[in-house]
Amino acid sequence: MNRLLALVKREFWENKGAFRTTPLVIGGIHLAAMLMFIITFSHFDNEFQSLKELIRFIAQQDTELRSQILYAANLESSVIFSMVLAFVVFFYLLGSLYDDRKDRSILFWKSLPASDTLTITSKLFAAMVVAPLIFWIIYVITHIVIMLLFSVVVLSLGENPWTLFLSLGNPFEAWGLVLTSYFTQSIWALPLYGWLMLVSAFAPRIPLLFAVLPPVILGVLELWIDFLKTFTLSDNLFGLFGRWFANSPLIMSGDMHENDGFGAALGIPITHEFDHHVTVANMFDRLFSTDMLISLAITAVFLGATLWLRRRATES
Amino acid sequence: MNNVIEAHGLSKRYGRTVAVDNIDLQISAGKIVGLIGPNGAGKTTALKAILGLATYDGDLSVLGKSPARDRATLMEDVCFIADVAVLPRWIRVWQLLELTEKIHPKFSREKCLKYLSTTKVTLEHRVKQLSKGMVTQLHLAIVMAIDVKLLVLDEPTLGLDILYRKQFYTNLLNDYFDEQRTIVITTHQVEEVEHILSDLIFIKEGRIALDCTMDDVQEQYTELMVAPDKAATARELKPLYERVLFGRHIFLFKNANREQLKELGELHTPSVADLFVATMNGGES
Repeated sequence: MNRLLALVKREFWENKGAFRTTPLVIGGIHLAAMLMFIITFSHFDNEFQSLKELIRFIAQQDTELRSQILYAANLESSVIFSMVLAFVVFFYLLGSLYDDRKDRSILFWKSLPASDTLTITSKLFAAMVVAPLIFWIIYVITHIVIMLLFSVVVLSLGENPWTLFLSLGNPFEAWGLVLTSYFTQSIWALPLYGWLMLVSAFAPRIPLLFAVLPPVILGVLELWIDFLKTFTLSDNLFGLFGRWFANSPLIMSGDMHENDGFGAALGIPITHEFDHHVTVANMFDRLFSTDMLISLAITAVFLGATLWLRRRATES
Repeated sequence: MNNVIEAHGLSKRYGRTVAVDNIDLQISAGKIVGLIGPNGAGKTTALKAILGLATYDGDLSVLGKSPARDRATLMEDVCFIADVAVLPRWIRVWQLLELTEKIHPKFSREKCLKYLSTTKVTLEHRVKQLSKGMVTQLHLAIVMAIDVKLLVLDEPTLGLDILYRKQFYTNLLNDYFDEQRTIVITTHQVEEVEHILSDLIFIKEGRIALDCTMDDVQEQYTELMVAPDKAATARELKPLYERVLFGRHIFLFKNANREQLKELGELHTPSVADLFVATMNGGES
């Protein structure tokens, strides 16, 4: 266990830029945008007249509508963090078993009494838990700072931030939902993670090419064969990938709901296998599905092959 | 299991090339073995098999374990520096020490810091800021601070200046080595390790060309230096190897009658380097 923790720490140290600096920069951009927004108003009229009017206008709106907007906004403000997190994890995994082969420091790591299974576990753990957790923490901090800043502005303009927006939504609920969606996404995305690690352990060079080219070639061939056979473009690898993406338990888009207005959505609400409402139950639905079971089987194959390759990585 | 390394019929092929060809090898505890061979002779390949870094054919046991299967547990008692090994470039020295300490139960931070104090390496340095020689110093400091039963050094002193090389081998002999430990060294700078070796193994084209103790070398091998007019006589005594230096003929004999040779010219104990050249160029030893 200590060894695993040490190895996870190593992953964090090696990838500090991606795991910590990147979300900090996103948070910083959010704050900068907020400040620019305030400065813009103060620049055009010194008394903040227009901002005051805007806030008064908001305050006059229906409470129900305001809380709905706030609820959606709380969730949607995670989207940029989530998307960048997805990129970070993608490239992290792609390099995870490649970089030390390239610079040959693998020979040093292999001289330590840590098994290849433990090494692979530590890297997968960093991708599934460490990176999402850090992104989430910084997302929450950013959220708090922005709410504080906005409250101060509202207060200084003579309005009550509590009745205006603070009392209307429970930010803890949004934070909890986002964190749950990150971890369910980590499991939902396992086949992709397994594939990326496999490529990372295998690629003699340019892992990105090896990761993307085979599925694209396979998908195009499938499309073409389907087209020849049936003159339709039905189910194929691209469709599968698209469905997988749209069904993701990650909060990444919005939706109009028939009964209760609009709100954030899990994945992209164009598929109908799963409910896209942002609830914990809907996230877990995805994990306890046949799709997920098949995904786990595929992941096991990918990771098994990854281990096999990693054991032989110092062969020549 | 008395032998630290025991190999029977150890072979390794890469496609059609046979890198290691049916080697039998026994190395017991308390030895410092020089594994010496020309480039591409199979030294590194053999070491990789021993360290569990490559698959192989044949029987191989290191400290009673199978390196191919039990690399991780084996590494608790074995340490190595591979010839092309580099430390990860992104890491800071203190991070490296902390990781090694947490992962390796037999690592002593104090010892490592003591060795590092004789170098210019500081804890805040990143590996990529260090010169090649400093990285090697760091790597050696870590390795010497790990209390293992078998230490494998594949070209350990590459890129180090002669002062540090001498100091390293002195440390290795005085502070590190004892009866319980075994050290296997490969190097092209044979002269520097010659005096610390207890055993000698020459590898030639994937096979063992010579496997003996340093005492055997003294006992069995004799170098004879003669003037040109006695060269023909010396040649009749079937030397292993002949070379000419400053007009004098130098012959290498195995198990020769020293009294008989003495009448022809000067006798010496051959250096490992001379023995190596003779073994590689000549036939069987």
